[in-house]
Amino acid sequence: MAKEMFLAGCAASAFGAKFARVEVISSYPIRPYTGVMMELSKIVANGELDAEFVHGEGEHAQVSIAYGASAAGARAYTGSSGVGVAYAMECYSPAAGGRYPIQMIIADRALDPPGDFGSEHTDVMGCRDQGWIMGWAETPQEAFDNTLIYYRIGEDPKIMLPQFCCQDGYFVSHIPGKVVLPEQSQVDEFLPPYDPPDPLDPTNPTSHGPQVYPDQGSAIDIQRAQAHLDVPKVTEQVMDDFSRIFGRTYNPFVEEYMTDDADFVFFIQGAHARTARFAVNHLRKKGVKAGMVKLRFVRPFPTEVVKECLSKFKAVGCVETSTSYGGAMKGGNLIHEVRASLYDSPKQPLVTSFMAGLGGEVVTLNEFYNMAKVLSQAIKDKKIKKYVYWLGFEKEGI
Amino acid sequence: MSDFKFPEGKEVPRGAVLPAPVKENRMMITGNWRTDRPVIDHEKCTLCLNCFIYCPDACWHLDEEEEKMVWNADFCKGCLICAVECPAFALTAVNELEFEDGVVRLEKPF
Repeated sequence: MAKEMFLAGCAASAFGAKFARVEVISSYPIRPYTGVMMELSKIVANGELDAEFVHGEGEHAQVSIAYGASAAGARAYTGSSGVGVAYAMECYSPAAGGRYPIQMIIADRALDPPGDFGSEHTDVMGCRDQGWIMGWAETPQEAFDNTLIYYRIGEDPKIMLPQFCCQDGYFVSHIPGKVVLPEQSQVDEFLPPYDPPDPLDPTNPTSHGPQVYPDQGSAIDIQRAQAHLDVPKVTEQVMDDFSRIFGRTYNPFVEEYMTDDADFVFFIQGAHARTARFAVNHLRKKGVKAGMVKLRFVRPFPTEVVKECLSKFKAVGCVETSTSYGGAMKGGNLIHEVRASLYDSPKQPLVTSFMAGLGGEVVTLNEFYNMAKVLSQAIKDKKIKKYVYWLGFEKEGI
Repeated sequence: MSDFKFPEGKEVPRGAVLPAPVKENRMMITGNWRTDRPVIDHEKCTLCLNCFIYCPDACWHLDEEEEKMVWNADFCKGCLICAVECPAFALTAVNELEFEDGVVRLEKPF
């Protein structure tokens, strides 16, 4: 029988790794992700999981250990947060180029703008162009499920890509929620053992990560690009299997909340979606037709799905927890992807973005009401005033 | 691989994983980096194998039938560690321009 436990996001991810029967774990402490490795080391020490637990001398070494383990044919698991993610940056491109389906749990934390350690998506967003699959969990339950789902997608013979399995630091990683843990036999059915196509083997030696000529680089890049093009189809299949085996259903790419007759929606990812849901409930009581669309994958970005979903509304407010300084939209990362996705659409909603929760600041209900005010005004005026609103810093008092 | 067409000679194995070179990597000849090459005087050579031990690119090996040291031009970068380490002074550095097949002559400017 499946059992219920009260777990924070870190522990939920650790249990996910346990159920996935990971074979090599490499760790290096940095808050807020540390809880994952604390829990996993306990699980390994108690003999509940047969895995090599290796402690790296830094994040760069940590990802390198997982890289080597994956090349040898093991299911490898590692993770980090904030500046640690940035420190291991060099290892991400070769891991994706060499097609090693490592999973890295990221509990997001701000990069230092001197010395902040709150939750913010900037750390992994900075690494989003390295060819890794990437997405966010909203609850501990989703963090648990994503661990299994991401391994299944990443290890598909067509895909073979590493995955950033992200959750908001503190808001998900440290706040306990109810998690339904499945039977091991169910997980084994969903996630078969990793079958590496060319593992390191002394009897049949292979070269991994060899030097190639510059004109061969593009061919390797195209392989990676093709794998990303294949992800959506595989994801749909994986989600079908997931709901059949575990009885829980996720929409593979976006999750809509109260969108049937909505005038405007908050486009959001991660933990703040929970607050957004409350805000939508309250706004509905006041007669404001608000809705929410939650993004489940940032890489590969579900362009077609987002285009079809968002073109139904009059206005879209991207709620950003990461920023792209000096970018085309002068602000967050989501609005770039959203506006690019909507470019070909015959029906164009008004799109603006809200910088909220940077540096780990709590996004309050009040701020969602302010966002709703801006969006309602934009619908009335039939145009947006600004691409980006920095909530709490605007002259209009929002 | 469905969306892209690979022109001939552009294919690479998945993730660039290759059978390991057992002896030497014919895909990556690096011997054309040299300005000087070590030339051996077999009369002076005592087969002490110092050159074999010190060469960072494994360019020297002992031909056991002929009982002499053999030099591999394809991977020698001309660092001349072998010449420095040779106790019998059997190795001398000679500029590549002195050879008909010298790498300097092989490089076409246009």
